[in-house]
Amino acid sequence: MSILMKYLKGWRFRSSTPSLTEGDEINVFVAESEDRDTGLAYIGDTELRIDGAGPETVEKRVRVRVTEFDASDATGRGEFLEVVGGSSYTG
Amino acid sequence: MSGRRDDSSADDPTDSFVSGTADEAPRIAFYGGRGMSALPIAFFIVWAIVQTALWRISDTGGLVVGMLIGLILGMFFVRGDWKTYANTIFEGMTQPVAVTAIVAWIWAGMFAEVLQDGGFVDGLVWLADVGGIGSALFPAATFVLAALFTTGIGTGYGAAIAFVTLFFPAGLLLGANPVLLFGAILSGAIFGDNLAPVSDTTIVSAVTQDADIGGVVASRFKYVFVAAVVAFAGYLVAGQFMGGLEIAGDAAEILVAESEPIGLVHLVSMGVVIGTAVAGRHIVEAISWGIVVAIAVSLVLGLLSIGDVVAFNAPEDAPLAEPLEFLPILTIVDDPDAVGVGGSLLEGAAGFFELAILVLLIIAAAQIMIRGGAFDAILEWSIENLATNVRNAELTMVGSSALINAVITINTAAEVAIGPYISKIGERFNLNGYRRANILDAQTAALGYIFPWSGGVLAGYTAMQDLPGEYDWFTADMLVTPIDVVPFVFQGWLLVAVFVIAAITGFGREYLIDRESEEVARL
Repeated sequence: MSILMKYLKGWRFRSSTPSLTEGDEINVFVAESEDRDTGLAYIGDTELRIDGAGPETVEKRVRVRVTEFDASDATGRGEFLEVVGGSSYTG
Repeated sequence: MSGRRDDSSADDPTDSFVSGTADEAPRIAFYGGRGMSALPIAFFIVWAIVQTALWRISDTGGLVVGMLIGLILGMFFVRGDWKTYANTIFEGMTQPVAVTAIVAWIWAGMFAEVLQDGGFVDGLVWLADVGGIGSALFPAATFVLAALFTTGIGTGYGAAIAFVTLFFPAGLLLGANPVLLFGAILSGAIFGDNLAPVSDTTIVSAVTQDADIGGVVASRFKYVFVAAVVAFAGYLVAGQFMGGLEIAGDAAEILVAESEPIGLVHLVSMGVVIGTAVAGRHIVEAISWGIVVAIAVSLVLGLLSIGDVVAFNAPEDAPLAEPLEFLPILTIVDDPDAVGVGGSLLEGAAGFFELAILVLLIIAAAQIMIRGGAFDAILEWSIENLATNVRNAELTMVGSSALINAVITINTAAEVAIGPYISKIGERFNLNGYRRANILDAQTAALGYIFPWSGGVLAGYTAMQDLPGEYDWFTADMLVTPIDVVPFVFQGWLLVAVFVIAAITGFGREYLIDRESEEVARL
């Protein structure tokens, strides 16, 4: 990204319930664990349930393939692919 | 916030705060429940409030002692082996967040000192003079120039001191209102402290939120710009209505005598640092280039001698001193007390030594709080009661970082202490590193220069008290009482307002899915 683009990025009002696109691969922090095999991530107020993301992925940054998204109630489902990073304080 | 449970569950989410040893690291149990692990930090905060707010002593060394005592006191409440507590202090101090910030501060300190010693402020005074700026425009112009200066040198405290020393008297002579002028200087300091890539608070905000400094600076420009445009208009309007003081003597003559246009050459040094940092180069590399350029142009133009940059004062009986006395960096001194090393580079770096120690100790105390469970308890309470959706989460981040900076004078120390909390709340809602760093640093920069006990106000006011001794015409009744300036620090109030509005409306909000901050290893 050019220097100018870095300055121009983000000059907009961003929704509190961002949309997701089925088939996209995205990185998200897992907020909590719903059960042994499902993690829950909040992207703003959009809820994404991640199949295959167990409790060990909580507060980790994970790569997810979005499989479902319902814009009417801002909820979606995704498939866990891999852990790609940790919290800011993991160095 | 505490005492609800005292367990040591292996899947504790705050484990991820610790490098490497996250899962196997030991927990610390405290008498009185997990809330007691906050005792060292709590003691430090109380100490900092008493020392800096109630007794008005802005001394980083005193805060170091407060933190040390807090860490010792906390140990007496540990159940079982105290060795775990002691080891956790080391564990905290060795976290990359502290060390990287300290390295960058020391580099930034050297750069700032070279610019100050190289006559940058003199150049700005000259610019105001030739621009024909009158009393009504002077506060607005002061805001712009102080903002420019602070963006270059990174230290708002240093800028407040430099501008009060050199610019404040010039403004009074031109008939500007002293309270408005002091407010404009503080506003400029806030602008630069918030935006400069070499600012200590910018560095801390980026490092604690895992974001690259160049990207952080570019992404926060929009908030700073919006606040600054309104602040500038505010100083223009207020300048028309708030009159100055009657001062006898020839104001113009004194002003010209203080002018040195050549100092403006440091705009180039400043541009080198900002340009290379925003272009994504390692911040140490960017500032190193700035230092090299600043020293080179200062030497070529005669603004500094090599002895101003580095100076060795050796005693007479030193074995190799006399044969090498021809070196411009070496002076033989008679007075044993004068023996030592000096110069811009040392003075610039040394300005951060105490703060570096303080930050290491605060990070250690934060680690105690994490290992003991108090951090977890506060976080759980916040998530359940405050950060219930992304808007409330951002308002919580704005409010908590504003509050801690309003009560702790040294804003960098406050920022380090609240950094992990901001990180955790923001990551929960997948706010990216830039947004989190921007929320954190705006409140840090703004609240550090508003209240009478704020470090920036104290720094400027301290410098102002020397003015009656320096100028015959400057009388004690021209001094600005710190409480009077509070409403006139426009950039500070507006920056907080911009972020409250941004949290409510979503202006500038970025999620991890929109853009990920680049790797922090760049620092």
